[in-house]
Amino acid sequence: MITLLAALMLCSCRSGPRASAPAPSTIGPDGLPATAWTGGPEPCFDDGVPPEALSHAPVPYEPVNSWQPPGLERPWPYDEYLRDGGDREGPVAVSPDWQVEGLDLEDTVAHYDALDGRTLVEPSNRVHIYAPRFGAVRSVTTQLASEQIDQPIGVKLREQLVHHDDVEQATTSLQREQARGDVGTKIASAYRTRQGDGAVSNTLLSFSFQDAFLPFENLQVIKLGLHHQAEKARLAEATQAAIIWTGDQAVQVLLDGRSAVEMAKDERTEVVYTDIDLRVPQLRIIKVASTQTALPGETIDFTLRFDNVGTQPLGNIVIIDSLTTRLEYVVESAQSSRKAEFSNQRNEGESLILRWEISDPLEPGEGGIVRFRCRVR
Amino acid sequence: MVQNHRNPASACPRRRVNVARSMAMAFLVSLGAALPLSAQSPKVHYRFDGTEPPGAIGRERLQRGGPLPGYFQPVEIRAPKGAQISLAVQGDFDEPRSTPIEVGLLIAPVYRLRVSNIPLYEGQEVYPTIEIIDRLYPPDGERRRFPIPIQLTEDDLQLALDGKFVTRVIYIEDPNLALPVAERAEDQDWFEVGPRVNPLEEADRWGRPVAIVRMGGRLPDIDEGPDDCFLHGSPPFTVFRPRVQIETIPKGLEARGVSRPRQSTARGVTVR
Repeated sequence: MITLLAALMLCSCRSGPRASAPAPSTIGPDGLPATAWTGGPEPCFDDGVPPEALSHAPVPYEPVNSWQPPGLERPWPYDEYLRDGGDREGPVAVSPDWQVEGLDLEDTVAHYDALDGRTLVEPSNRVHIYAPRFGAVRSVTTQLASEQIDQPIGVKLREQLVHHDDVEQATTSLQREQARGDVGTKIASAYRTRQGDGAVSNTLLSFSFQDAFLPFENLQVIKLGLHHQAEKARLAEATQAAIIWTGDQAVQVLLDGRSAVEMAKDERTEVVYTDIDLRVPQLRIIKVASTQTALPGETIDFTLRFDNVGTQPLGNIVIIDSLTTRLEYVVESAQSSRKAEFSNQRNEGESLILRWEISDPLEPGEGGIVRFRCRVR
Repeated sequence: MVQNHRNPASACPRRRVNVARSMAMAFLVSLGAALPLSAQSPKVHYRFDGTEPPGAIGRERLQRGGPLPGYFQPVEIRAPKGAQISLAVQGDFDEPRSTPIEVGLLIAPVYRLRVSNIPLYEGQEVYPTIEIIDRLYPPDGERRRFPIPIQLTEDDLQLALDGKFVTRVIYIEDPNLALPVAERAEDQDWFEVGPRVNPLEEADRWGRPVAIVRMGGRLPDIDEGPDDCFLHGSPPFTVFRPRVQIETIPKGLEARGVSRPRQSTARGVTVR
């Protein structure tokens, strides 16, 4: 009976079938040979613990969307993309002699003249093209053969100090004698007065101009040359006073017996007439590329669309595209839908600055297209 | 040398004969050379040298976070024409493959290759390692079109056979620092640094390092064959089937009704 009970207990304590190691299938997934199986690392480590990077079975990870750290500008990472268009760093400006200042690599802008004579600059949008390029750094070193460091033979330790000087504690101290009484300060029994000189002193004003504004000059238009609306009344009052008090009534002096010549003058303050043109100049320029990804050696077509979205004609329209270093202009690929003069010049990135000068003015609502082709370096 | 059993490079003390010594020497020499220049104070403190043990930099990279663990980064391995490459599978090298081959490698593990049938050096073999330390983030569906190119040049292989240790750090070029020269698909731009220059730091100056290739030095055991430490645990990888090139059909044949072949939709196969 006891033997039977013991046998039952042993049977109940037995676990299920032992988990056997999965045998590698003879035919791998998708028809690969059975040898195409690597598995995890063998426990050849002394403590039997594989490194952390290999201890976890890798799970194929396929991000649904392009991952990027939060808070950064898309697209990310920046070093895998080529950028072209926009106004990258300092704003582009055009000097009166038509010199373009501040044109950086990747910039695409158009400048034009408005009816009021201003030269305005309008940047395009920016185009991003995924085109990573790789490089390599090689280092060649010589190996020291047949040498091995088994274990450190010794270490250098700092010797312990045998003796060090202590600051001995003072055993006695001298007690300063306590003051037995206060020394009082006598109150002054008499005042010293400064006696006047008995005469009237007069400070003479300087005859030269003082480098300070007088009270009635406390106006923005006087101090800074800026006309402020709130000062209009005071300014009118001041100018009226100037008219009244600065008008010469008659000649007061004779010089060398000659009579002064009468001079007629305009006593009014200066009047400025402003002609406000309500028509707004505005050019819109849009840039698009033929592809979003490119390998070195492939070509990309770029199209620039420009439109007069303002309410006045625009003249002297010039479209400028400074190509980035890795974009190489394909010769004779520039096109324009409007009559234009095309030219190019080398930029600091060993690429080209493309330039279209649109010959005719652009009326409101009109537009055009320029195209060119680049090869990715 | 400190025994670190969690480091696969030092896990087998009997194996780390020459490489560990040379790496330690190079590290100390570079450290000593850098001390007098401390007054110039580089803005970035580089924790790692290019002579770190294989796998150390990748493991540290994983700890920085991001979608790196388990991602099979497409890599295209190129070698001189005629050379064949074998990857470590289940404790041994698999069948030799003609190059270029396209595989997906995990970030941080070290992959051991065997390069055989090297032109002018038939009968000799080189065993380089590849360590992926960062990945690319291409647009959806464009993953295979932009692999990391790993180039085993004839010059590198010859140096390795002559007993030199070659370290090649591949980086993604910073577009703002790009050289204005066209790059050919079969010829990667590279430059050489001196023995006292950290190649990882130099690559970081010009872009973002993504892979490290080391060759020269260690050889498998002649009698027992490569052990698992030599193969760094034979980490898993993904094999991409080669793309089928579209053959151009002359217009005359096309007019006669010969259809244009379709491009194969190759897909990756995970090798475990």
